[in-house]
Amino acid sequence: MLTIDRLDAAYSVLPVLKGVSIEVAAGQFVAIVGPNGAGKTTLFKTISGIVIPSAGRLVFDGQDLMSVPPSARAHLGIAHVPEGRQVFPSLTVMENLEMGAYTAAGRRAWRSNLDMILTLMPVLAERRHQPAGTLSGGQQQMLAIGRGLASAPKLLMLDEPSMGLAPAMADFIFERLIDIRRQTNLTILLVEQRVAEALETADYGYVLETGRVVLEGTNATLRADDRVRQAYLGM
Amino acid sequence: MTAPQIIENILQALVAGVLVGSLYGLMCVGLALIFGVMRVINFAHGDFMMLGMYAAYYIFTALGIHVLFGNGFGPYVAAVLAGPLLFVVGYGIHRALISQVTGTRTLGLDGEGHYAQLVLTLGIALILQNGALIAFGSMPVSIRTPLSISAWELGPFWGDFVSVFINKSRGIAALISGVVIAGIALVITHSRLGKALRASADNPVAATYMGIDVDRAHRVAFGLGVAITAVAGGLLATTYPFHPFVGLEYVIVMYAGVVLGGMGSIMGAFWGGMTIGLVQQMSTLVLPTQLQNTAIFVMFLLIVFLRPQGFFGRVVERT
Ligand SMILES: Nc1ncnc2c1ncn2[C@@H]1O[C@H](COP(=O)(O)OP(=O)(O)O)[C@@H](O)[C@H]1O
Ligand SMILES: [Mg+2]
Repeated sequence: MLTIDRLDAAYSVLPVLKGVSIEVAAGQFVAIVGPNGAGKTTLFKTISGIVIPSAGRLVFDGQDLMSVPPSARAHLGIAHVPEGRQVFPSLTVMENLEMGAYTAAGRRAWRSNLDMILTLMPVLAERRHQPAGTLSGGQQQMLAIGRGLASAPKLLMLDEPSMGLAPAMADFIFERLIDIRRQTNLTILLVEQRVAEALETADYGYVLETGRVVLEGTNATLRADDRVRQAYLGM
Repeated sequence: MTAPQIIENILQALVAGVLVGSLYGLMCVGLALIFGVMRVINFAHGDFMMLGMYAAYYIFTALGIHVLFGNGFGPYVAAVLAGPLLFVVGYGIHRALISQVTGTRTLGLDGEGHYAQLVLTLGIALILQNGALIAFGSMPVSIRTPLSISAWELGPFWGDFVSVFINKSRGIAALISGVVIAGIALVITHSRLGKALRASADNPVAATYMGIDVDRAHRVAFGLGVAITAVAGGLLATTYPFHPFVGLEYVIVMYAGVVLGGMGSIMGAFWGGMTIGLVQQMSTLVLPTQLQNTAIFVMFLLIVFLRPQGFFGRVVERT
């Protein structure tokens, strides 16, 4: 579904991604892990068109993404739940979800999607008329995920959904991701610092370090790998 | 002065304040879309209003609207038609010039592109003013309607002593202004377009992730803001004469109104403009006319000092 092929990207002169190749097949749950500053967020921004790559190929659903303007990529079926949540603070919870459903697919599936989102995260229903800026961090993360789901995407990209959350809230968010996966069988690309959980839920994983993929494999392979066990799982 | 006379003067000033305030309010709503909602500084906004005035003037006289709708209502039809025309002008100027310094282009610029916007729109203001001087000449003109010399009488109240007059021309202008404001407030709060505009202003990058074309959103908001202020200008032109530099007299009123109302609030901007109109007219009761504008600024400073977020200021910060 998504092919990232030998991708290079840089901020002005500082190279951040160096020949990154990642493959996400339809229906797969793929995790990308790696230390801070490895370039995970930059990779997502490149897929969404906010960062322009200097070399390499990006193909989504058979279409070359380089010829698709950033604002048109959501309409192809890519939902980006960004790092730091980035909800629309002055819009209400409902309006945020409506903006998620800005795509044609999202509008068609609005009723059933809204049902699913509010059932998964009932606190959003309670707060539906509140400006998103007044929500707690965990609630904003739920809203950001709900907003992504509302677009009825083919690929859901999540950038560190547990970042900055209390452990209990981070667990809750993770459980919701597992629920979503089970209910929708959506293709998911997840970036996470919580490596143990990420590798446990994912089918396949990549380890990104200083802009390079240093390791990849199925979750069993990665969890059995000594380097992963030492560096990320603390074993 | 007798008591009824004093009351009559106060009521008359109040009515005059509401009438002119509703036009100031409409102007402010136009700027509020650009400055308040989209956070773009537009120093040429008064000059776009000036263009709206001339547009209404020429639509009325040259396009034969006065024949079609008569001299009574023609000017109002012309003022409303100035809206779509100036939408196209605003949209075009945004696409050609202002888009370089708004929307996703400003992500890498200092101060969200505000410095660049300031310089660019000041330049556009100068070009519009001097262009208008060449095209239309420096003689003040006005759009005449026979309605401006007739009035509705309210009253008499209090036996036979107090009655208030509402100038028909200004009354109709205020009504039209009210309808336009209600329409635009509905669009901004309830329509998909309005929500997309607010989302683009709140967080342009996240809006792009939603599939919103942020640069187009900015263009539409700019065109709409210019169009609304142009209609206000056209309506104002039925009672006040204007000239190529008239924008300078109103641009301050507009910014003051938007700040008074609280940035980002459409209805707030309307009440901000209304407050300015009321203070201006009420001050004539106690102050000489030359001090009208001083009264506005004393009030402005007081309110900014006492309530910096404005009447309708939002509590929520942008990310
Ligand atoms: N907007 C930016 N401008 C310049 N450098 C940046 C910017 N964003 C990130 N970087 C740098 O790029 C590198 C990768 O960052 P990022 O993609 O955020 O990593 P990760 O998400 O893996 O923590 C870091 O060295 C970071 O400092
Ligand atoms: Mg990151």
